[in-house]
Amino acid sequence: DALDSLETFVKTVKSGRAAFTQTVTSPPRDGQAARSKTSSGTFAFQRPSRFRFDYTKPFEQTIVADGQTLWLHDVDLNQVTARKQADVLGSTPAALVAAAPDLAALRADFELKAAPDQDGLQWVEATPKARDGQLSAVRVGLKAGDKGPELAALEIADSFGQRSVLRFTQVEVNPTLPSSSFQFKPPAGADVLRQ
Amino acid sequence: CALPPRAPDTAGQPYWNGRLALQIDGDKPQSFSAGFELRGAPQAGELSLYSPLGATLAQLRWAPGKAELQADGQRRQYPSIDALTEEATGTALPLPALFAWLDGKPAEVPGWQADLSRIADGRLSARRSQPLPTAELRIVLQQP
Repeated sequence: DALDSLETFVKTVKSGRAAFTQTVTSPPRDGQAARSKTSSGTFAFQRPSRFRFDYTKPFEQTIVADGQTLWLHDVDLNQVTARKQADVLGSTPAALVAAAPDLAALRADFELKAAPDQDGLQWVEATPKARDGQLSAVRVGLKAGDKGPELAALEIADSFGQRSVLRFTQVEVNPTLPSSSFQFKPPAGADVLRQ
Repeated sequence: CALPPRAPDTAGQPYWNGRLALQIDGDKPQSFSAGFELRGAPQAGELSLYSPLGATLAQLRWAPGKAELQADGQRRQYPSIDALTEEATGTALPLPALFAWLDGKPAEVPGWQADLSRIADGRLSARRSQPLPTAELRIVLQQP
């Protein structure tokens, strides 16, 4: 079922690269229509625990996890924030799914349950074990790719009722990625903030 | 000058969406950065703060006699907007003036100096000289 597919994905897909679009929809409030924002870019990961999001639209933002530190570079604000990866992993579910070394690591942070197939994908529901976290529910969508299960979608609901849906396309399975692709050097002149 | 980007809310109320970076100086410098949505008015409104990947970090709501922070699964009341914004971002933010600045209008706030020269392309920066510690707020607005 979907859990087997997720286990196969985590075991066999050691690295990946894909384009993504992210649609964030905040719940309608007192008479105002629900509002959604879409962004897009590229996503890459290398197990264990390295990944990067390169947002290109509507603004440039780079998020790189090099295994220890999560770097975030906001180009417009010319600011880099660096956080210990372990401290923020709970709030980056896409990373958890992609960069988790194995299913047991995922089970440490989430209760995993197979959910019914939908939109041609197999779905796993991941309920965060940390109760006070920002996340309330995560759903992982897997597609049967020609080389086995592929990460196709991620739906993330936060505790404020906001829904973020990530769709992955042009997925490359197990590409050889140079280790430099998960290293980040703050550009000269940017202010670097360690938190 | 060109009007700054401001998509009026469906209820006709001001609404801004963008990213903010706050740098608080002093011997133990602090910083805060988040995506944000600001709606309503100085008297009554709401500020939502988001993590870079889109998760909601906190929601601040204020109205006459009310200043509420919703975060980490709890709602807490605060005596003033200053106390509310200090709890959420690390320092008291001049919210009433922010509504004016984001609209491209100068507004005097004791201790704060705003640079509206690039507000037409959605850029605002404001520096606090006192009370100490000094601080700098930088905002980039999302073109609607």
